[in-house]
Amino acid sequence: MATRTDRPQWQRLLDSDRSYQALTFVLFAAAWQVYGTYWGGLLVPTFTETAAAFVRLLGTAEFWDALWVSNQALALGFACSVAIGVPVGVLLGRFRLLERLTDVYLNILLVTPMAAIIPLLIMSVGFGLLSRVILVTLFAVVMVIVNVRSGVRQVDPGLIQMAKSFGATERAVWRDVLIPGALPAIMTGVRLGLGRAVTGMVIVELLMVSLALGGLILQFRATFDAAGLYAVIAAVLIESLVLIALAQWLEHRIAPWARSTQKRKARR
Amino acid sequence: MIEITGLTKTFTGQDGAPVHALGGVDLTVRENEFLTVLGPSGCGKTTMLKMIAGLQTWDAGEITVAGRPVRGPGPDRSMVFQNFALLPWATVLDNVAFGLKLKGVGKAERNERARGLIAKVGLAGFESKRPGELSGGMQQRVGIARALAVEPEVLLMDEPFGAVDEQTRRLLQEELLSIWEANRLTVVFITHSMEEAVLLGDRVVLLSARPGRIAEIVDVPLDRPRSSDIGGLERSREYVEITAHLWERLRDMHEEHRLERAAG
Ligand SMILES: Nc1ncnc2c1ncn2[C@@H]1O[C@H](COP(=O)(O)OP(=O)(O)OP(=O)(O)O)[C@@H](O)[C@H]1O
Ligand SMILES: [Mg+2]
Repeated sequence: MATRTDRPQWQRLLDSDRSYQALTFVLFAAAWQVYGTYWGGLLVPTFTETAAAFVRLLGTAEFWDALWVSNQALALGFACSVAIGVPVGVLLGRFRLLERLTDVYLNILLVTPMAAIIPLLIMSVGFGLLSRVILVTLFAVVMVIVNVRSGVRQVDPGLIQMAKSFGATERAVWRDVLIPGALPAIMTGVRLGLGRAVTGMVIVELLMVSLALGGLILQFRATFDAAGLYAVIAAVLIESLVLIALAQWLEHRIAPWARSTQKRKARR
Repeated sequence: MIEITGLTKTFTGQDGAPVHALGGVDLTVRENEFLTVLGPSGCGKTTMLKMIAGLQTWDAGEITVAGRPVRGPGPDRSMVFQNFALLPWATVLDNVAFGLKLKGVGKAERNERARGLIAKVGLAGFESKRPGELSGGMQQRVGIARALAVEPEVLLMDEPFGAVDEQTRRLLQEELLSIWEANRLTVVFITHSMEEAVLLGDRVVLLSARPGRIAEIVDVPLDRPRSSDIGGLERSREYVEITAHLWERLRDMHEEHRLERAAG
């Protein structure tokens, strides 16, 4: 019987996730091109037009300024989300009472359309970097908290008991069992939080202050530069993809065992 | 070595009704003895073992280990768990050294001692593997090495071979016996298997159905050392007689339990 590893190199290369991703992308681009050419009209540019606009965009100082300004809010807001979300999630996961007290508010935060509180924010903190950072944080922090909390809660109580049987203090239980046990979920929370932070970054610029990348989108829309508009959106997409890939890579670096045990479970 | 007197425990079940887990257990485990404990499911075996380990409180009675009353976990006792309870993120080496780390033994020394024990349980070369990469039998070898690493006087084992396949179980039994023969530890070993209880134990303690009490203690007069010829023992007359006797008792207990349930 031929196993996976027996197959020739080129076949394995073809069968990798990468090549499937490349295939779907090519199909998508082709479909887009066809649609844009025959039915797109003024409002939907073709794929090649967008690509050209994208290259042009990369040549402008305006774009890089916008990217820089947007990412300030993203970086600061995301850092705050992790700094707040991880400890809070850990505490909520370990102490039932705290969790009970806060569960309602977390759920509210999780489902509230954050865009709705933008006017509120502007009224209280104004248009500056601070309000953008706060909004990004609000977007991302809940995701981090919820994932970290469930991660800590999912740590096998048998492991805690085992540690105690070897004389572990509460501190040692935290250091040697709870934190490493929750690490994969913490990293997942961080990754999902990052996704939400990017969303928050763009939304705040679109709805609150027409500024930076969001400002560019609005500007291209106003001038009916459809290709330019699509190019900015593509830039945001590419940045999110790069960030998510980075977060995923970090996740696998920091908690490699989580991946292998999951695979094992899946195979059974 | 271990003195248990009048040990009782009543849990509150999920529906609020009391669950009488232990109904007054008196038991003496001798020094360097290999004691096996057998009993119907849910009769309080695990509960009793956790109490000896200092992980579980009790209502009345007393437990002393080498004359010292048990108040919590201690370095004189260590436990081997049915589901192995290995840290999935830590290597075999770190898992085996875990108890030593908690005791505050320095890194170089604990790694050296852990390596010695890993070799002893036949896992040399696997030091840097993670539990997820090992078979069940190998994982339990890690669990045993970890328990031995802290050099306990008493080894508490809760159905340690319940989750491994038959052949592996046989190998692990032989290995455990030879480790015990070489180290002269006191072992309390819980099992569901009458065969295992007789093959390993100096005495077999039979617990009754809930509330758990000592129903009978059976001496096992099989020759030691047994590690070299477990298969041969199984064909001996004593072995066959004792397992037959245990089976009769367990069957009676199940029957009584059934009648009681039907009546109440
Ligand atoms: N923390 C607890 N809270 C409530 N009930 C408990 C608790 N721990 C154990 N029990 C109950 O006490 C009884 C004895 O449990 P124990 O786990 O000691 O049985 P056991 O003899 O080890 O069973 P098994 O052979 O299935 O392992 C069971 O009915 C169990 O449901
Ligand atoms: Mg049990």
